[in-house]
Amino acid sequence: MTIADRRPDTSLGGDPALRRYEDVTELLPSVRQPTPLVRVRRTLPEGGAEVWLKLEWLNPFGSVKDRAAAAMLEGLERRVGLGGRRIVEASSGNTAIALAALAAVRGVPVTIAIPDGVPEEKQTLLRMLGAEVWPTPDDLCPIDHPKDGAIALARSILASDPAFVTTDQYANLDNVRAHYETTGPEIWRQTEGRIRVFLAGFGTCGTITGVGRYLKERDPTIRVVGVEPEPGHRLPGLKSFAEAKEPEILDRSVVDDVVVVSDEDAYRRTLELHRREGLLVGPSTGAVVHAASVLDAPGALAVAISPDSSMKYLSWFGELVADDGNPSVFDEEER
Amino acid sequence: MRKTLDCTGLQCPLPVAKTSMALRRLEPGDELEVVCTDPGSLSDIPTLAEDLGHTVVSATDEGDRQVFVIRVAG
Repeated sequence: MTIADRRPDTSLGGDPALRRYEDVTELLPSVRQPTPLVRVRRTLPEGGAEVWLKLEWLNPFGSVKDRAAAAMLEGLERRVGLGGRRIVEASSGNTAIALAALAAVRGVPVTIAIPDGVPEEKQTLLRMLGAEVWPTPDDLCPIDHPKDGAIALARSILASDPAFVTTDQYANLDNVRAHYETTGPEIWRQTEGRIRVFLAGFGTCGTITGVGRYLKERDPTIRVVGVEPEPGHRLPGLKSFAEAKEPEILDRSVVDDVVVVSDEDAYRRTLELHRREGLLVGPSTGAVVHAASVLDAPGALAVAISPDSSMKYLSWFGELVADDGNPSVFDEEER
Repeated sequence: MRKTLDCTGLQCPLPVAKTSMALRRLEPGDELEVVCTDPGSLSDIPTLAEDLGHTVVSATDEGDRQVFVIRVAG
């Protein structure tokens, strides 16, 4: 039978029980459809916390930012409408990719100011999704915020034309709401209320504020740990507040501890998670898992956010592992 | 070839970002005239051009607007 022979009324229809969806947006996570929790079994020392990773890269657009992007777009639609609008956002890539995909479904154009150091894969994906891309040096507007050039550029693009609206993820309470309403309740339910420690990186701080607030309301003794990179780091999505401005949406009252992680430890852990756990995680997951490894929390059930996968950083990892995995060709070579 | 980039009404750092993109699309020896209305451009645009190795032929403050001519390095 050819496609032309098929009757027009044979649509299957959506059926989540069969993992069949009418539209990609139906794959967005919720308490009824959570992202998976997977235990880290082989890379952490005995006697430490029992660490479970929440695999946010299994979201439809590949990262934890799918949640924020969906909630922020919905908020914009409710407040100002999206007809005739153009969306502008500053993003290290993941929010931009999710926004571009969700906006594409709605036919809304998207402009992204992206730090020019992010991997080429992310910029390419944005161009594939039809977004306008402004690669931006971090020091583009050094007087204002020394390391936030993309944020400054997005703000000036917003001011350049009244058709522009911004999701402004660093100040948008919908970013926090997304995690308060989905990620937090998912974790509570998936751990049957037994979670003792929650770890997430400092970026826009939507995740740590939203999940932290939800969990603290359930049980104020749950320890919330923020993971911060060192100044001058190369960990996309994470922010060092020694050099970048703290986002307006960060609520420090729900954060108990901060662990600072070096790039070296984050990248080493990321490779360990690939090689010993078979987990294809991105560099910020390595940072969060390293922070979990230095916690003094023996036996505590800890949940750490794994924001994205390694797929969007292959050009970087390519350099890191270029000399690994090559077969020995001379007898005298050590294996 | 001489091209004009209109950055009137735009706030920092958009004129800098646009000028940087425009310079990348020109050939060596071409001239780019940039017209701005943001006083910050008086320091930002020449600094950008020199950082990229181009020559600032002129930078004129006309009070309500600033006009720059940049020659692309060859």
